[in-house]
Amino acid sequence: MILVEDIHFSYDGIYTALQGVSLQIEKGERVAIMGTNGAGKTTLIKHMNGLLRPQHGRVIVDGTDAKSLSIAELSRTVGLVWQNPDHQLFLDSVRKEIEFGLKNLGFSPEEANEQCTQTLKNLGLEGLAERSPFALSGGERKRVALATVLATEPRVLALDEPTIGQDAHQKERLASMLLDLNERERTVIVVTHDVEFVIENFPRTIAMADGRIVADGSTSSVLSNEDVLERCSLTPPQLTVAARALHKVFPQVPERLALLSELENAVSEILGVVP
Amino acid sequence: MSFLEVFQYTRQESLVHNLDPRSKMMLAFTLAAISLLFLNIVPLMIILMAMIPLLASAKSLRRWARSMKGMSYLLLFIIIFNTLLSTVSNPFSHSIALAIRLLALMTSFSIFFLTVHPDQLAQALIQMRVRFEFAFAMSMAMRYVPTLGQEAYAIMDAQKARGVELDKGNVLKRIRNIVPIIVPLIIVSIRRALSVAESMESRGFGASENRTYMELLKFRKRDWAVLFASLLLLVTSIYVRLFVPLPAWMLLQLPF
Repeated sequence: MILVEDIHFSYDGIYTALQGVSLQIEKGERVAIMGTNGAGKTTLIKHMNGLLRPQHGRVIVDGTDAKSLSIAELSRTVGLVWQNPDHQLFLDSVRKEIEFGLKNLGFSPEEANEQCTQTLKNLGLEGLAERSPFALSGGERKRVALATVLATEPRVLALDEPTIGQDAHQKERLASMLLDLNERERTVIVVTHDVEFVIENFPRTIAMADGRIVADGSTSSVLSNEDVLERCSLTPPQLTVAARALHKVFPQVPERLALLSELENAVSEILGVVP
Repeated sequence: MSFLEVFQYTRQESLVHNLDPRSKMMLAFTLAAISLLFLNIVPLMIILMAMIPLLASAKSLRRWARSMKGMSYLLLFIIIFNTLLSTVSNPFSHSIALAIRLLALMTSFSIFFLTVHPDQLAQALIQMRVRFEFAFAMSMAMRYVPTLGQEAYAIMDAQKARGVELDKGNVLKRIRNIVPIIVPLIIVSIRRALSVAESMESRGFGASENRTYMELLKFRKRDWAVLFASLLLLVTSIYVRLFVPLPAWMLLQLPF
């Protein structure tokens, strides 16, 4: 469980990146953090594994104040997957790259080897184990970076823009993998602009703007709120747009829809066919 | 990495900032040359101290002090290694002088780089008959220093999250810990260089032979004054170094 209490943070003492953010994320939740560029999303998740320390307020991870834990200790609980995989890859094989983090965080060489093999298999990267990360494509590097974190089996997984540069197929695969992890009681937090990805996979959304949380609640309610969409400069999900358009012509269709199945039901109702 | 800050242009309104980059180039070159002419503690200290008012008038004293603090480990390293390995008669004195010389050299160039915008530098080089391509490359290099700095921090964060403890362990471990930072930094830089080159070419870089420039640099009275003062200082220092024996207090050495 992650508890963030009224944290403030400024990088340079002039511009405030976070101004009083409070939230609580329970074990086993799937949460999306959305918002404009510069809203403080990445700054917020960096507080969860101690890379940044709040200048005011506190962060509590699994009942312990993060203040008393080192980054390495916190990283065993909260795994961060970065936007740019090139910022962390430096070894000459994918396998070594994955084992590097494991050994740093205290896994024995045998355990590291075992975890590595398992993770590669789970992500369908077996074929790349001995390849150099630098020779891989952008999307593959991104998955390797993900593997380096997944292998450590953190209880909380926080991903920064995981869908950028991934094709539809890879996105689906990522989603099913995240759902799978979530089923095994892992908390999944994702920072993204990808509205469709959030709607399909994350029941809860936290919307941020200017270092503050502007909305925190069920994804369908947050993303159908025009005010929130406007303030966070998010494009409304296609489903919402479709629902609104339908609502104009067929008032019986609710204006707010969140799931594809709801839309299907509504449309079948209009057409008078039994779904 | 924080010591690099002192080579990074800061937008400010000051006398030094308003000087023509060419006269500042001469000034920086003179100061650097003087620091290379002498290798005794007292003259080097005098040079270093003389540069402090210049930094102050460029409103960058605090930034400079912060960078020098970041340098202190490197300086300590230089002093220790030189003292242990040097073959001169009083190695400690010698290595202190070397450390001050490094500081003086860095400071002299920092006065230039802190106050000259990369575009101004390019323009100055062009007006000194350097080919546009080279001048542009130079200003691009300067332009990317802060980007590289940011990238270095991002990489450090990424590695820290993987359990690399940058500020723990003995010297050997700390040196080994540089590898996970340096390798990604180099790779990211090369990747970016390639993509910048592509985007420049796709925007027609080098398409026309004769470029014209919107803003031309002009020498004013104070620029000439700085230029001649620097030149005079340089000539005098060389003369002193070659023909005038320094007084004993200037050659002062520590006893070991």
